Amino acid sequence: MPKIGSYRANSVIYFQGDQGDKVFVLQTGRVSLNYNDIETGKDIREVIQTGEFFGVKSALGRYPREENAVVLQDAGVLMFTVPEFEQFAASNIRIIIKMLKVFSNQLRRIHKQVENLMENTSAVSAEVGLFKTGEYYLRNRMYSQSRYVFSRYLTYYPAGRVAEQAARFMEASETALARYGDGKGPAPLAGASSGAHGPSSAAGAEAPKTAASGGQTLSDAAKDYYNAVSLLTQEKYQEALKEFKRIADASQDPEYSAKAEFDLGRCLFALSQWDATIQHYTAIIQQTPRHPDMSDILYIMGQCWEKKGDKARAQGFYKKVLSMPGDDDSSARIRAKKALNALGGA
Amino acid sequence: MSDLAGFSRFARTYQPGELIFSEYEPGDSFYLIQAGRVRITKIVGDIEKNIDILQPPEIFGEMAILEGAPRSATAIALDTVKVLEFNRANFEILMMGNPQIALRLLRLFTKRIYDQKRRFMILTLDDPQARIADVFLMLHETQGPINQGAAELDGDKREFKVTVDDVAHWAGMNMADVQTILGHFSNQRRIELYQDKIVVKNINDFTRFVNSKRKK
Repeated sequence: MPKIGSYRANSVIYFQGDQGDKVFVLQTGRVSLNYNDIETGKDIREVIQTGEFFGVKSALGRYPREENAVVLQDAGVLMFTVPEFEQFAASNIRIIIKMLKVFSNQLRRIHKQVENLMENTSAVSAEVGLFKTGEYYLRNRMYSQSRYVFSRYLTYYPAGRVAEQAARFMEASETALARYGDGKGPAPLAGASSGAHGPSSAAGAEAPKTAASGGQTLSDAAKDYYNAVSLLTQEKYQEALKEFKRIADASQDPEYSAKAEFDLGRCLFALSQWDATIQHYTAIIQQTPRHPDMSDILYIMGQCWEKKGDKARAQGFYKKVLSMPGDDDSSARIRAKKALNALGGA
Repeated sequence: MSDLAGFSRFARTYQPGELIFSEYEPGDSFYLIQAGRVRITKIVGDIEKNIDILQPPEIFGEMAILEGAPRSATAIALDTVKVLEFNRANFEILMMGNPQIALRLLRLFTKRIYDQKRRFMILTLDDPQARIADVFLMLHETQGPINQGAAELDGDKREFKVTVDDVAHWAGMNMADVQTILGHFSNQRRIELYQDKIVVKNINDFTRFVNSKRKK
């Protein structure tokens, strides 16, 4: 049971620097918490309202008191030990939630103050930091980790400075993961990244096109496209589907229309619409037999047939992937090989 | 622990090695570990540093309460990890039925506020040597007098498992300056520098030094 305490005006309940394990609630009278603002050094007087708690943080955290608790008018208080306070709070959860809100505001404020003092040190922007984190994992052949980080980059910065590169590195991570597994394979990034003004522009081993420098600006079609890719990585397939369809129909830029056509199928597949996927890709195969993502298209077709239970057709598509000319170990090829083996016979 | 069976819609499972979130990613949720261990890491220079290993029923990612703040570290599943994932919008639901979790979060915030205030105190020192000395005082305070025997050396000697990088981070100074000052302290035989630790020969000497530099 909490104890009742009464204090005369002008007395002090606790001093700054005291070690104390009591939490107080003001019942009657007036109490002021006096301290110096850590930023300005100004004297602050915070008058406690009746019913209000004080001394909570220092008691819970076992820190020295951070203020002088001075009695302005004869005061009656309830004094809780920490276990008593916890027991009381457990059955008055609203009070904890209120305190959490107060504390989170305080935390926000002090965090800002610290950041203001830190601003002249070399902090990287979150965007660059995220990209570099991805690069670190890719360089150290932690492919599933780098894939995650680059997909998050695309989620948050679909039109970011290095969105295109992030998309390529994500692809490179995926390919390396399928081909070698985490921790294996040749070093996927040449050298260390040390660009003073941003992420390195080292080309991933799988970069399908020549790597452009990091800072290039994206066309509107490209921005829209990476926006949609971002939705796809967030597993918002319905929304991504809509966007890809819009980009494909607008056909502003043949490169991104083709990409969007391909990713549209990936959305359908992710939505388990096997027939719609097959229909969509069949049209592409007929109209654009030289589509740059043909191996992947054929592979996903195989997956659809496998899902539908038609092993023979699935095998047919996987074999087609393997007979495609070009990159001998694209991720589609490796996956097709695995799928064929799983179906029992190459 | 309270009954969390009703919270299955917040449950997430991560495989060993899987990232729960990445450093620098904008954070909007925080996590309560139900099973498995979570490794907290940070990439410093070109090394992935372990900051902490957490286990049930610890909470992590709670700084997500700071709107839009990027994550300050990466969380990776060490085992198969089961967590409950919450955000600002729905954490009250969790708290309402689980006072123990609410109290744990309250204590965590208390600690975070104190840590940040303590950091702020370091940064307000103008004298760079005092700043660095104060970093050691802060580490001494948080590590406590009986931490894994690390501090139980003879007399006022204290040992800290930190690198120059860490000290630079806490002091808000660049590496080169910190290196110079630590070298200076070492020449004065006030500290000993090692690969993975720094030994302060007399912690009270640092306390006096910092107090003399702190404006009243």
